[in-house]
Amino acid sequence: MVYDALVTCLATVGFRLLAAATDGYRVVLSRAELDAGDRHPMRPLLWRNFRWLVTLLLLVVSAIGVEAQRPPIVAAASDLQFALDSVARRFTADTGERVELVFGSSGTLTRQVVEGAPFELFLSADESYVEKLSAAGLTRDSGVLYAVGRIVIFAPRGSPLAVDDQLAGLGRLLSSGGVKRFAIANPEHAPYGRAAEAALRARNLWQPLQPALVLGENISQAAQFAVAGDAAGGILAYSLVLAPALRDRGTFALLPESLHPPLRQRMVLLKRAGATTERFYQYLRQPAARETLRQFGFAVPPQ
Amino acid sequence: MDWSALQVSLSLGLGTIAVLLPFGIWLGRLLAVREFRGKLLVEALVTVPLVLPPTVLGFYLLVTFGARSPLGEAFTAFAGQSLAFSFQGLLLASAIANIPFVVQPIQRGFEAIPSDVREAAACCGLTPWQRFWQIELPLAWPGILTAAILAFAHTLGEFGVVLMVGGSIPGETRTLSVAIYDRMQAFDDRGAGIMAAALLAIAITALILTTALSRRAVPRRG
Amino acid sequence: MADRSISVRLHQASPIPLDLDFTCAPGDVLAIFGPSGSGKTTILRSIAGLHRPAQGVVRSGAQTWTDTSAGVFAPPHQRAVGFVFQEYALFPHLTAAGNVMTALGHRPRAERRVRAEQLLAQVHLSSHADRRPAELSGGERQRVAVARALAREPAVLLLDEPFAAVDRDVRRRLQDEIDGLRQTIDVPMILVTHDFDDVVRLATHLLILEKGRAVAWGTLEELTSRPDLPWVRTAVGLGSVFDAVVGRSLPSRGLVELNIGGATLLASDRTLASGTAVRVRIPAREVILANRPPEGISLHNTLAGVVTEVHADAAFEHVIVQLAVGEIQLLAEVTRDAVATLGIASGLPIHALIKSVSIDVVHSHAT
Repeated sequence: MVYDALVTCLATVGFRLLAAATDGYRVVLSRAELDAGDRHPMRPLLWRNFRWLVTLLLLVVSAIGVEAQRPPIVAAASDLQFALDSVARRFTADTGERVELVFGSSGTLTRQVVEGAPFELFLSADESYVEKLSAAGLTRDSGVLYAVGRIVIFAPRGSPLAVDDQLAGLGRLLSSGGVKRFAIANPEHAPYGRAAEAALRARNLWQPLQPALVLGENISQAAQFAVAGDAAGGILAYSLVLAPALRDRGTFALLPESLHPPLRQRMVLLKRAGATTERFYQYLRQPAARETLRQFGFAVPPQ
Repeated sequence: MDWSALQVSLSLGLGTIAVLLPFGIWLGRLLAVREFRGKLLVEALVTVPLVLPPTVLGFYLLVTFGARSPLGEAFTAFAGQSLAFSFQGLLLASAIANIPFVVQPIQRGFEAIPSDVREAAACCGLTPWQRFWQIELPLAWPGILTAAILAFAHTLGEFGVVLMVGGSIPGETRTLSVAIYDRMQAFDDRGAGIMAAALLAIAITALILTTALSRRAVPRRG
Repeated sequence: MADRSISVRLHQASPIPLDLDFTCAPGDVLAIFGPSGSGKTTILRSIAGLHRPAQGVVRSGAQTWTDTSAGVFAPPHQRAVGFVFQEYALFPHLTAAGNVMTALGHRPRAERRVRAEQLLAQVHLSSHADRRPAELSGGERQRVAVARALAREPAVLLLDEPFAAVDRDVRRRLQDEIDGLRQTIDVPMILVTHDFDDVVRLATHLLILEKGRAVAWGTLEELTSRPDLPWVRTAVGLGSVFDAVVGRSLPSRGLVELNIGGATLLASDRTLASGTAVRVRIPAREVILANRPPEGISLHNTLAGVVTEVHADAAFEHVIVQLAVGEIQLLAEVTRDAVATLGIASGLPIHALIKSVSIDVVHSHAT
């Protein structure tokens, strides 16, 4: 409250100063302009009140920044970029309530929660981050498993990379020196990046790929890099390449789950979750939402 | 076009100007008019945010005012919100980042006032306060207006600090520049393109205004 | 009525060395004359409160404005000072009337516009009241600066090289304006200049400054009658200046009579009317000395007097002879040879011969 008052005072003084400064603007209006009145773009009459108009306008616009009611914020791992968007829209259509979605890598979002981010629900791409938050006492409970994810190898159109589920094509291209850039998510804080690393190690491709590796901040950014100009391709989330935005941009092959630890994706309600979020949480476990998740390539665990 | 992002950007830009102008005018005038020991140091400090990478600034802000630090708790008590992920916190970060953009043009504006005009005002019986409002402020207007426009345009383009300190909370800290980043990750090139064009238009307008103003700045001598 | 003279005593070693002590009474015009860098402007600034001397006292009447020993220093806005700056320093964003009104803060708001217009009328600038400085000529701007300085109802009027920036014709008119002002306002006026023409036309008193030191201070008549003052000699040449009244006018002969302290001079001028107050300058170089009044010569002025001082300076080729003629003192510049030939020494009766053409008559056109 005090802060807002201080800012408002400062703002008023600031605009008043700006207005006083514009007094001096008169000196650049030549006599002809001052006398011209109608013919000049800035009519003197309007100009006299201009300063006050501007001050008023600026104050009003700044005040708009104070929004009364805002829909609750749901934080989700980037692999859910299209899937969750779809579910949220159906939720709004069915219940009339809205949620705001924020995407990022699970690790980054976890850090933000710890720093006090105003999220109400967190859909991680793995379980460890949820456990971490739960242990820190930032969650309602320990959450539930909502999906199991898959990874694919992806090659954009025009890339020399041949995709197959054993990464043999990647191995061949690597040996011939034809891989300039290969995108994965950053294993340090993205579960899909960790899975990609595991798969590459399983095929002994991790070390040789090092010079060409491009790390995306999250799996969406990795996808962006993968479709970019001279990338050979990348290891991306299945849910992303199934989306219309990426589907026709290249070819992909689903990688067997044996190549990496399972991507068990857990979600959890955070301490400040409100009624709308709770309803959304429940909605996610119902058949309609589960069906959407399946359409995006997720394996949905039984109830 | 993400309208809430546009509104956050505009509010942040205008808020930064409003909050920084009083400070900028005070400091800019001081640097222009007075000589004192340590003046060089102050001028250097003012320039620091210019050369500091935004992420460094963001990092230090989070470390100093983050939710877990004592200063952060004080900030929360004062502002009603934690520094990170709040508009208030973003405003603070933006104000600090824009100090050089505001102080330096204002300093030039006050420096451009000939000293004998200032002395004449004193000899006319005007107290220092009256001198400031009636004579100096109107004559320094090119600098002040330039500072306002530059700070506004710069804030609109801020990205690193916003992302680090604000995250991307819709309606709160998701500015237009951050929204563009989000749209790219959602492969919504069209949406990103519209917002990028909007930002570009604002930046160009700001440049045109600043150039026009500096051309029309008349000699300060009467 | 309290004495409203201004008294100034300044002493400092840096940034500009100063060492002087003078006063100026209401109605007097003190010209501070000296080479550039001698500290003239610093003196004005010290009086106005724009400069704080290392040591000094500045008093206006009963008010002490500066007293370094007592730690007193009134800032400029607390001193009733009217300052006309060298480049006028008008406020560019205000009209002429606006500029003058800025100095009228001590008057009630309702009166200010009227008073400003009165002041502008006094300097003959009524029609330009709503013009901005950028739309005024140099001479007009100077008059606005003067009006603004007067608006303050100052206890002292300070002018810093007021005519430096204008050409000769405008300068004449402005000098007349200032002279006219002197007669209507009753405050001390201190004028800084390096142009002796200003001094001759306007000053009643003179302070000669060299490297910050007051070399001489006194009335104009006294100082211009002194045979020493080497800097003045090199810069402008010596020559007595005194006030005179026009006696008879002799238009048929193209001459006028000037009555000067008991002596009568004939000057070459057709336009002066009897009774006009004028100022006269007689350059030392134009004065010829003779033991006997000559005959059959074109000269109109032969004055009998007595030599009061013979000033020979090793730095100069010629000798300056000071002689008393009635109540005034004249200076004559002659060769050493002449001094030897005529046996010129103090106490010797001598005649001063002056061509009517050589007499420089300065009269004001102020009404």
